[in-house]
Amino acid sequence: MPSTPVLEIDGLTVRYGGTLAVDALDLRIGAGETVALLGSNGAGKSSIVNAALGLFRPAAGQVRLLGRTPAEAVQAGGVGAMLQHGGLPSEARVGEVLALVRRRHADPWPLDDLAATAGIAGLLDRGVDALSGGQRQRVLLALALAGAPPLLLLDEPTSAMDVAGRQAFWTTMRGLADRGHTVVFATHHLDEADAVADRVVVVAGGRVLADGTAAEIKSRIAGRTVRFRCPGPRDGLAALPGVTGIGGDGDLVELATTDAEATLRALLGTRAGLPDLEVRGASLEQAFLHLTTEMGALR
Amino acid sequence: MTELLLFQLRRVGRNKQYLFFTVLLPALFTVFFTKVIGGQLAPGDYQDVAGSVLVSMLAYGAIGAALGATIRIAFDRSSGWLRQLRVTPVPSGSVFAVDVAVGALLVLPSLVVVALVGRFVNGVQFGLGTWLALVGSLWAGSVVFVALGVAVGLALEAQAAGAAIGILGTVLAALGGLWFPVEQFPEGMATVARTLPSYWFAELGRDIAGGTPASAPVAVLGGYGVLFAVAALAVARRRPLHAVAG
Repeated sequence: MPSTPVLEIDGLTVRYGGTLAVDALDLRIGAGETVALLGSNGAGKSSIVNAALGLFRPAAGQVRLLGRTPAEAVQAGGVGAMLQHGGLPSEARVGEVLALVRRRHADPWPLDDLAATAGIAGLLDRGVDALSGGQRQRVLLALALAGAPPLLLLDEPTSAMDVAGRQAFWTTMRGLADRGHTVVFATHHLDEADAVADRVVVVAGGRVLADGTAAEIKSRIAGRTVRFRCPGPRDGLAALPGVTGIGGDGDLVELATTDAEATLRALLGTRAGLPDLEVRGASLEQAFLHLTTEMGALR
Repeated sequence: MTELLLFQLRRVGRNKQYLFFTVLLPALFTVFFTKVIGGQLAPGDYQDVAGSVLVSMLAYGAIGAALGATIRIAFDRSSGWLRQLRVTPVPSGSVFAVDVAVGALLVLPSLVVVALVGRFVNGVQFGLGTWLALVGSLWAGSVVFVALGVAVGLALEAQAAGAAIGILGTVLAALGGLWFPVEQFPEGMATVARTLPSYWFAELGRDIAGGTPASAPVAVLGGYGVLFAVAALAVARRRPLHAVAG
């Protein structure tokens, strides 16, 4: 556990009417970490981010950002945020909006560098109403970065971006993480969590299901997948050593196994050929599905 | 605070629709109604009619300007801008205060333009003191409609708020006797008119233009002002500025 927690959440509980969105959640994030809050829609990610920012008073629990209350941390410019339902003022120019927010920071990010980092250098004179979805997101990123805050809280930041926009965005985020900024982002894109975060917190039903590196999460489903083409009958495959499940489409067979070597030996002993044979580790997607189904079964 | 005020004023200034309905339209109506009604009258009667139309249009423009500027709060909430501001160091209390100030400030250009049109196009003759008292008192009285606009802007989502600006302004003007004098209304409608803040707002102006300031309009407008302010605070408590919906 890193020594200086930038974000501390203790027993956070959020209710909307009768629905429990976040269930006594604890989370500690240290300086310099890049953390993905991974979960499907409705898992409670936005509620966690919004409560962490002090946008509403939670039913129970406590949040500290940089050792302060959320409101204090925001006022001090310690945290920058991209919200899922954030927006820009109509009839304003991008440069004006940026100037308004930068002026409130004691030590704002130099304008030219900020605009270049957020990818809005050519947009400063543009009216807000004339921006595309991706451009708006980049302006919102610039607002979040305006005070060069040590902590960035991003709620589904790439949702309005195309593929190229996403790539550019995450390149920027990696650059910020390399410069020591703590980046916490909520996402339902497994590939984003896998590629960008050095720590993945899997959230479902308002609780933390798993917390670790992407590799650790993947290893939560012990074992591997053995894949090959099998036009004939599949009799006996399930009984092979190590095999815990059979899947695959058409004549493609996927065996989930806890002992790939034993499964392969047995397969090679009984079959003349195994066309298109592949042995793979579990993907984050499989791990995620496994974890969430497991939780569903427990409930 | 000053930066935020200038920022908000620049935004409204770019809204051509707002400028049209709060400055140009009342100014055009001032000329139009005076020509239509006062065209064939003797010079003495003409002054009465032109003065009365002028006061009505001052009131109409001021109400539209106050409502139009403040109901915009709904747009900023629905777009997510107020929520966004909440996660920057721009203090959210000042956002509210600035929107009230913007509403109050933007009434003035409307009043001044309509007054100038009344004086120099329609030839309305008041003493300088009367002109200043008229514009000043209507400016002060317009705070009632600033409070109403804030309450409505906080209560509604963007689309409903956009419609409310037009509907509220039109209903208050038409039923309050700003387009046609209440004396020409059938009795039932005249009774309704005399309950409306827009009627008393125009009465305030008429009393001052006629050199007979009275306390009744001030009392009624004061009551409405308190009512709308309390409503605005109640809505603000229920639906914080940064809430997206609900």
